[in-house]
Amino acid sequence: MLFFSYFKDLVGREVTVELKNDLAIRGTLHSVDQYLNIKLENSRVVDQDKYPHMTGEQDAGNDLGLRLSVRNCFIRGSVVRYVQLPPEGVDTELLHDATRREARGG
Amino acid sequence: MSSFPHLLQAILTIQLDFSLCKVSIVIAKYLALYTIIYVVEKLLVLLRDGRKLLGILRSFDQFANAVLEGACERVIVGDLYCDIPLGLYVIRGENVVLIGELDLEREELPPHMTRVSAVEIKRAQKAEQDATDLKGSMRKRMEFLDLD
Repeated sequence: MLFFSYFKDLVGREVTVELKNDLAIRGTLHSVDQYLNIKLENSRVVDQDKYPHMTGEQDAGNDLGLRLSVRNCFIRGSVVRYVQLPPEGVDTELLHDATRREARGG
Repeated sequence: MSSFPHLLQAILTIQLDFSLCKVSIVIAKYLALYTIIYVVEKLLVLLRDGRKLLGILRSFDQFANAVLEGACERVIVGDLYCDIPLGLYVIRGENVVLIGELDLEREELPPHMTRVSAVEIKRAQKAEQDATDLKGSMRKRMEFLDLD
């Protein structure tokens, strides 16, 4: 449950989700559930040349790449390999405490 | 009795048929949380084997099992693509990688891509497969050279 609540705190922030099929999607975290399924808003594929099926027309002024014709998407938690977080979204002290508490079973 | 109705209770389904896009509004009770799901005309489902299905979402559950109406598979080879119609599909959740809402205002694909027939895309797919196979076998034959 620790990571579920942790991800809940990250809602609204910009994250990059790397999937097990090497697809990396960047977007604003919209919501997360108990299985760590993730919903992203304003998503875009980081390496868009390899994945034309999700890219729409070129988006001017967006150097991060093409914007998706898929703007909002749901990612199943079981296919996620990494979630890259914004550094300011990580409070290591708080995580330490929470992990200790979890380990004690409280 | 299955536990399904306890977890996900479709309370109300309103379906509006506009001339261009079908929109259904489902108000579902999911783990005591009420969620409103707008089922927009088109949805893109990416499967674990890399296949891409497009269709209208008709239902789903907590495992991401989904029912797609009027589903079609989008095959992309290089700059060519083809939508092969499939019909009504029930997708088992474990095979789902991603479900994306397709923006109806935007082009789905970059403008340089061209639509071809199913026969042509099959041919292109086979050519690509043969090319990768050849590359693999050449590499195997040259292994003694200790490439990399």
